[in-house]
Amino acid sequence: MSVDLNADLNAVDDAVLVERATDGDTAAFEVIIRRHGPLMRSYAYRILRSEADADDVVQDAFYTAWRQLSEIRDPAAVRSWLMRIVSRTAFTHLRRRPATETDTLLHLAVATTPDPETAAIRNAQLDALSGALDRLPEDQKQCWLLRELVSLSYTEIAQELHLTPGAVRGKLARARASVAIEMEEWR
Amino acid sequence: MTEITPTVLDCGKTLDELSDYLAADRTPFDASIETCPECLNALEALERLGQLSRDLLEHEAEQLPPVSEAWIQTIMTSISQEMRAGRSLPLAHPDPQVQLSITEGAIRSLVRATGDSIDGILIGRCILDGDVETPGAPIHLTVSASIAWGNSGPERADLVRTRLYAALRQHTDLNIAGIDITIENIHDIPLRAQEIS
Repeated sequence: MSVDLNADLNAVDDAVLVERATDGDTAAFEVIIRRHGPLMRSYAYRILRSEADADDVVQDAFYTAWRQLSEIRDPAAVRSWLMRIVSRTAFTHLRRRPATETDTLLHLAVATTPDPETAAIRNAQLDALSGALDRLPEDQKQCWLLRELVSLSYTEIAQELHLTPGAVRGKLARARASVAIEMEEWR
Repeated sequence: MTEITPTVLDCGKTLDELSDYLAADRTPFDASIETCPECLNALEALERLGQLSRDLLEHEAEQLPPVSEAWIQTIMTSISQEMRAGRSLPLAHPDPQVQLSITEGAIRSLVRATGDSIDGILIGRCILDGDVETPGAPIHLTVSASIAWGNSGPERADLVRTRLYAALRQHTDLNIAGIDITIENIHDIPLRAQEIS
């Protein structure tokens, strides 16, 4: 592949990359991997709490994506489509995995804002949320992540998880209540 | 499970309703929500939580070690073993004993290579219509493309069409009845390696 084609592929929208990849262009798919892989790994890591497992799951998700590309209805929305696949793959993996294999968790604290006090509060908020999400029951966590991180509607989550929209609503309400309680002091 | 946090606000609205409203980007405008201090408070809290969740994901993405080249190449190796050849299009040969054909995948690849070589053009999709498996049957191509800022759409589209006819004539003897080019996207002019250095 020429350097120029790479530069061109990097410049175009997801929709064009998806069209090309659907037609069999692996170079376009590679740009999709580089563009969306990092967030997909982070999503998988949030669920699995193991870097090695997250890496495996995202690879599997990309194999699935490559085979199912022609089924994408909206090529511009490939990110959300990929996140759905990674969510599905990660939770399936989680259910099959022995219970104890997780990493010592990443330490989140990183002060990036100029004001150290603001940074400290922010890091504490992120840590609190991270802990609250880790403690959610699996079904509630799954709904929460699809809702807040993938921005799916109740109906879309229901389709994804083979639930009724009412059941999704209930799980999200319970998740929201638990997270809100844990986050109380950061309001 | 008993609800510890009330999901119904004093004003009568539920958190579910507000969450739905937020998910719809606060449209259509709901005056009963937008003028209620309690709703506005709850909306803000929900919005902050949603934003914090997305920040958490990005934050963790930055904290994780970057994906390795080997990890990417493992995926690439695996998917390139599942090439999409598509249908086979027969090509004419003077000797009737010889059967030649070209795959749809190869034609798409030729179309992409030809279109991409034109300045300011990147090919998207390429669809072949017609009775492609019958020798000599008319075939229609529908090609989408993205164009770099500052180029003339109609002018570039004409050039793509001319070049595609020429390339297909040179490399295949397919009966191309028509080529439709649609410019569907606009992209920034990418930085070339020589311009970066």
